[in-house]
Amino acid sequence: MNTIQILLPVAGLSISLPVLVGVGMVVGFLSGMFGVGGGFLMTPILMMLGIPPTVAAASDSCQIVAAASSGTSAHLRLGHVDLKLGAFLLTGGVVGGWLGVRIIQIWRSMGSADLYITITYVVFLSLIGGYMFWESLRSLRRGALEPKPHVTVKREGLLGKLPFQMDFRRAGIRHSVAIPFLVGGLVGVLAAIMGVGGGFVMIPMMVYLLAIPTHVAVGTSLFQILFTSAGVTYMQAITNHTVDLMLVVPLAVGSALGAQLGAQVGKRLRGDQLLILLASIVLAVTLKLAIGLVTAPAVSLSN
Amino acid sequence: MRRRPSLLLFLAFWLAVPAAVVAHAATPPEPVTVKLTPSVIRMGTFYGGARVRVEGTAPAGSGVIVAVRGVGATEAFKKVERLGPIWVKTGNVSISGVPSLLLVFSSKPLESCLSRDELDRLQLDAPAVKRAIQIRPPQQGADRLADDFLKLKMLQATYRIEGGGIRTTPTGGSRQRYTSDFDWPKSAGPGTYMVSVSTCQGRAAGGDLQVPLKVVEVGFPAMLADLARERGATYGILSIVVAVLAGFGIDFIVTRLFKKKMMATH
Repeated sequence: MNTIQILLPVAGLSISLPVLVGVGMVVGFLSGMFGVGGGFLMTPILMMLGIPPTVAAASDSCQIVAAASSGTSAHLRLGHVDLKLGAFLLTGGVVGGWLGVRIIQIWRSMGSADLYITITYVVFLSLIGGYMFWESLRSLRRGALEPKPHVTVKREGLLGKLPFQMDFRRAGIRHSVAIPFLVGGLVGVLAAIMGVGGGFVMIPMMVYLLAIPTHVAVGTSLFQILFTSAGVTYMQAITNHTVDLMLVVPLAVGSALGAQLGAQVGKRLRGDQLLILLASIVLAVTLKLAIGLVTAPAVSLSN
Repeated sequence: MRRRPSLLLFLAFWLAVPAAVVAHAATPPEPVTVKLTPSVIRMGTFYGGARVRVEGTAPAGSGVIVAVRGVGATEAFKKVERLGPIWVKTGNVSISGVPSLLLVFSSKPLESCLSRDELDRLQLDAPAVKRAIQIRPPQQGADRLADDFLKLKMLQATYRIEGGGIRTTPTGGSRQRYTSDFDWPKSAGPGTYMVSVSTCQGRAAGGDLQVPLKVVEVGFPAMLADLARERGATYGILSIVVAVLAGFGIDFIVTRLFKKKMMATH
């Protein structure tokens, strides 16, 4: 089929424009709906389209900036973004990201980085996906929950005794600032090791550990992803020169449109419904990854 | 003294005529001619690949071989090996000694047209390319890696070495016309590629003629590629600004277009 082709100057090849916009829309839809960046889906799809892995990963982080901008804007309007909480998560994420990079350097010096990264990926994806799926299923079986009144949830016990307690009004929680900082840090470590934005790790952590309503978790996650992916884009542009703007623009337009649609559809779903859908996607990606790990590749060389 | 110029002209004429005759007799008939269309592939914003035609004449009865080669460069890969039940990337491998791109077309089957030595010398088929591959660091299983390198290149469409793809038509004399049309691989980036045309007869190659085929980025993509290479920081900031504008811009447009509908659903 003859479609409009565009040249990707950094990748050095041409590709169908409608295909790029379509891919952007699908991933953007998931992004807006679940608060994930979509990197764990987008990068493999771009590689399947023949784009070199380094260009795919770098350009993907840039298109996530667009999807997250659009999604954050939509969620801000819906009142689903806790800016204060997002700022602490982001700060923790930056520190965690730096720590994750150091861990990869140590693994590389041991000569087994790829093995550990792959194992981390599969283990964490299956744990997070499995737990989310199980919890959401239990919640669905209990039936639709009554809408909770907007009250601040106070942590009892050890968490409640931690210093620097603070109200996060939009999220409806009261926590020590150390908690979102640590959660952000943990997600940052995992995101750096796994080479993804970390939204699909962040959402369950926010919902199950911080007791944040799912919709606010989605909006706040997108807010912090906007900044982390912008940072990654800048670093990729100055160190590897692999961000392809001609690839980013159609993906960005598609994903920004998709994110709008995703935010609207997500709004119509209950928290447990959203989580079980996200869990299904995470488990499907894990399954594909696990099958790929045990299946002999067509060629024993990889870029 | 006055007669000297005309005497010199007279002598020059009688020396030049035999020299020209001898020179003409010493020039062998041109074995192959080649015309490349286009000779420069310009990759603009909406570049969607190009159709290349190589045509010309060759001695009648001979086979014609067209080979397009990219500059040889060291290519880096990760080796994928089995560790227990799983397949993981285990180490770096660099491959050199072969062109980055190789497209071979022939009017007759290569094996019947050229001897093994000639195929190896000209690197025209898979066994010949395999022999030329250099793998660093040297390691066990190099043979399989070489096979996989060829397989990977064929999957990427930058290697096409099965021959065929040339039409020949007699021109009525001692010459024949040949034409080869092929799609330029989309994954072949900017650079200078060499198109060589040779003939084969009696299992020996002859008449090798080479012309360059340039692939260049032009216009907006060329400007962006330069900016990405030369001014990484500016390019990075520009990329983020474009992405943020696309995101908030789409949000603004969608809100304006569907304002009433969205308000109704709140």
